[in-house]
Amino acid sequence: MSLKFGVLGLLKGEPLHGYEVKNRFEAMLGGTWEVNIGQIYTTLQRLERDGLVRPIGRRGDRGKLQYELSPEGHKALDQWLAQPDSGPQQLHEDIYVKLLLATRIANGNLQQLLGRQKRAYLQRLRDLNRLEERARRDGRVDLARLVRGALLHTEADLKWMDELSSERFGAEEGARTE
Amino acid sequence: MSELVRLTEVTKVYQGGITGALNGVSLLVEKGEFTAIMGPSGSGKSTLLNLVAGLDRPTSGSVAVGGMDLGKLGEAGLARFRRDNIGFVFQFFYLLPNLTSLENVLIPAQLKGSEATARARELLGQLGIQDIADRFPARLSGGQQQRVAIARALINSPTLLLADEPTGALDTHTGDQVMELLGQLNRDGQTILLVTHDAKLATRHAARVISVMDGKIVDDARLESPERAASEVIRVRSEEASR
Repeated sequence: MSLKFGVLGLLKGEPLHGYEVKNRFEAMLGGTWEVNIGQIYTTLQRLERDGLVRPIGRRGDRGKLQYELSPEGHKALDQWLAQPDSGPQQLHEDIYVKLLLATRIANGNLQQLLGRQKRAYLQRLRDLNRLEERARRDGRVDLARLVRGALLHTEADLKWMDELSSERFGAEEGARTE
Repeated sequence: MSELVRLTEVTKVYQGGITGALNGVSLLVEKGEFTAIMGPSGSGKSTLLNLVAGLDRPTSGSVAVGGMDLGKLGEAGLARFRRDNIGFVFQFFYLLPNLTSLENVLIPAQLKGSEATARARELLGQLGIQDIADRFPARLSGGQQQRVAIARALINSPTLLLADEPTGALDTHTGDQVMELLGQLNRDGQTILLVTHDAKLATRHAARVISVMDGKIVDDARLESPERAASEVIRVRSEEASR
């Protein structure tokens, strides 16, 4: 997702200046997304250029300049919120490419790669569990939900490792595509 | 920590099929550990648990619990071993329908009379179900039935608590609560061996995860529990469009 709509969403509540946007954004994400103040200013400038936000008061020290949502900004935010996420599935981790390469390089022997990756996923599940507990303890139900999503995704990754582990990879499989 | 369970080159062959068989499994479990055993159905994980419980005997190899070689025990000796050392929690609770919760908990009790009743009531209280002591299983929710089953498993203060898919018949929320109870028992010192296919629940409470496949242990992972910052665990990514 883009920072743009996160910023718009925060400004819907009340006018804020750059640092407030940064702090509230990071607090909302509970440390799972850190932004630098430069990105915030750039985003605010673009939003102003596109007519989605406007500054309140006189332009001077940009740290003190507050922004509010324009009517177009309200509309754009509502549209974004109502829209389901579609488009291609995002696969960001290296394992997907490692898997493809390993079939060729390791001559079909993937067990070690899968075993190590499985361990890493187990550890991640444990870390996520602790993070979820902490979020609940801190009364951050919204953040706990986010962590829950991550837990279920990692569980799926783990199931994928298990499925691959029980497969028999033939040496001809890699060759077929070459 | 000291050794509690030792499996040495354990093989289990079932006639007429290979499902659930074990093929040369060696394993050491220390006192106080919470170990999860994971694997697909038919991988042998339940067989492993049944051998440790003394409910079944290996085809070859040895199983020792608390220094006791189960292979040297006769049927009566095994029954005594199970009664004194093992608490077992099953997926489908297995409560007797014509007995109340309290009476179910008391079935395997070694203490006698009022002493046993006091212990049973204490356990029901500890598990948060003291108010359903006189109810019959048919009038209990799944979560309550499993708590009664846990109390029954704990009545003789077993050295080892075995749980085979204890959340398998429960909804997510109730399953979480039951696992939370097992986690608390472990923090109080109870050694637990858990068979599950739910990796989320396993890694929440067990610091050790053993993977079984085709009758063999294919991985034995000891997980770390450091306090990690949120950003080290999850990153919500930014895909900034430069427009």
